[in-house]
Amino acid sequence: MNQQELVEKIKLELGGKIIEINAPAERRIFLTVAAENLVDTMKILRDLFGFYHLSTISGVDTLSSFEILYHLANNVSCLTVKVSINRQNPEIPTICDVIPGAILYEREIQDLLGIVVKNIPDPRVLVLPDDWVKGNYPLRKDWNYQAPEEKIPGEKK
Amino acid sequence: MKKITIPIGPQHPALKEPISLRITIEGEVVKHADVRLGYNHRGIEKLAESRTYIQNIYLVERICGICSHSHTTCYVQGVEKLCGLEVPKRGLYIRMLVCELERIHSHLLWLGVAAHEAGFDSLFMYTWRDREVVMDLLEIISGNRVHYAINTIGGVRRNLNEIQKEKILEGIKFLKKRTEYYTNLGTTEPTFVARIAGVGILPKEKAIALCAVGPTLRASGVSSDIRKDDPYAAYDEIPFDLCTADTCDVLGRVVVRVKELIESYKIVEYIIKNLPQGEIKVKAPRKIQPAEVVSRYEAPRGENIHYIKSNGTDKPERLKVRAPTLANYPATIEMLKNCFVADIPLIFAAIDPCICCAERFVELIDAKKGNSTVLSMAEIRKKYYSTETKRNVVWPL
Repeated sequence: MNQQELVEKIKLELGGKIIEINAPAERRIFLTVAAENLVDTMKILRDLFGFYHLSTISGVDTLSSFEILYHLANNVSCLTVKVSINRQNPEIPTICDVIPGAILYEREIQDLLGIVVKNIPDPRVLVLPDDWVKGNYPLRKDWNYQAPEEKIPGEKK
Repeated sequence: MKKITIPIGPQHPALKEPISLRITIEGEVVKHADVRLGYNHRGIEKLAESRTYIQNIYLVERICGICSHSHTTCYVQGVEKLCGLEVPKRGLYIRMLVCELERIHSHLLWLGVAAHEAGFDSLFMYTWRDREVVMDLLEIISGNRVHYAINTIGGVRRNLNEIQKEKILEGIKFLKKRTEYYTNLGTTEPTFVARIAGVGILPKEKAIALCAVGPTLRASGVSSDIRKDDPYAAYDEIPFDLCTADTCDVLGRVVVRVKELIESYKIVEYIIKNLPQGEIKVKAPRKIQPAEVVSRYEAPRGENIHYIKSNGTDKPERLKVRAPTLANYPATIEMLKNCFVADIPLIFAAIDPCICCAERFVELIDAKKGNSTVLSMAEIRKKYYSTETKRNVVWPL
């Protein structure tokens, strides 16, 4: 199966779920779906097309919305599933039921972009420090953090 | 039997990365393992958004000290795709040469660590001595032992001359002979094989479901290598074999890496003998039109992936980096379940972040009562590593 056939088959299987699909380069496909269709899309891609391997999840803040990108791979191509979500109420469903290896990446976007992953099996903080002030999401473009003034214990006032 | 939780890390003199493992044991058997990250989170992705494409090469190089070339190559080939640059063949070949030499030095280092964890210290000293040969080769090519800084957008920064080529072939000839000796030694030395066989089992289905990468995945019988699946640079022109093992244990991971060493020697020899003539780089534009790209690379530890989004300026809108070790953590937790305490360092080292245990203290917390005691390594050895204790429990595998 080559990439062109793969794209045609994905179009046939997913039908109305697809918002946009294109293949800009060799072995690269970008597919856009809505957040409510994400889990179903992942299941279909895994079971019918062999996209078992999730390379990572990237999050991009475009200031009008958040784009979440799931980079999947099989032996033909590397497919990126793109989901665009509302910036005021950023919520996506977990895909850990479909791909268990997604857990660390979901925890990472929760920490750094402040996206709520619904029904995530393990919601603990992954990369940020334990004493991190809540509501600070470093990878958001409008994040403007002012570090508190450094105090050295025992220094002269 | 009462359950005890042992914290390993985050600070440990022998650890490459500060990582914290919480291991719950029942007697001698690990029941649950948990990993806590973030002790070394430097905000590189955020920093990359405020630097130019050229500055970012040197930033991503510093993500890792062992596979520094992996990150720069993954990054520059993504940026090259974004601006539609055609890199000259000679540049690609030199890039691949450094990449394979880096794989050789990383695998030799790992082989030493694995041998040390298995208690085979003479092999450790041999491999680390021989690793100096490949480090010297890298220094001859790039001028640096660790951060080679050979990549630039549009090609490489340094050319190769005949004397350098000769020296590389000489070094590879020596390493080939040594590696053959280690293969012979490692597969026939009964104590070494007995120590690593059947330890850290990761079945094929689990390895796929937990998205493991690199030698860890290949040792579970999955033939996946980005150099074959998604050939970058000029890997589609180079003959080499994909190395797998189907034992799904630490022995398999040793076999895969030793086989890969031999394949890497072949690749290096092929590159030197078939090095194309011509330019080594092309000029790159400073600003890049809005676009996005996914770049993949087979680092010594597995798949490395960069996602780059440009926005028309000379700085990227977003740079996402996922290094192979992160992808292997869920699989490591699976491997640690139902193993012995004495196997923890071996299993953890087998994915390649080393957690070799020199002298250290651990705190033992009684899971029910909450009492804690601090023991020295010698006391732990006496308490948990002695052979009598091992005989009293049922073999869990």
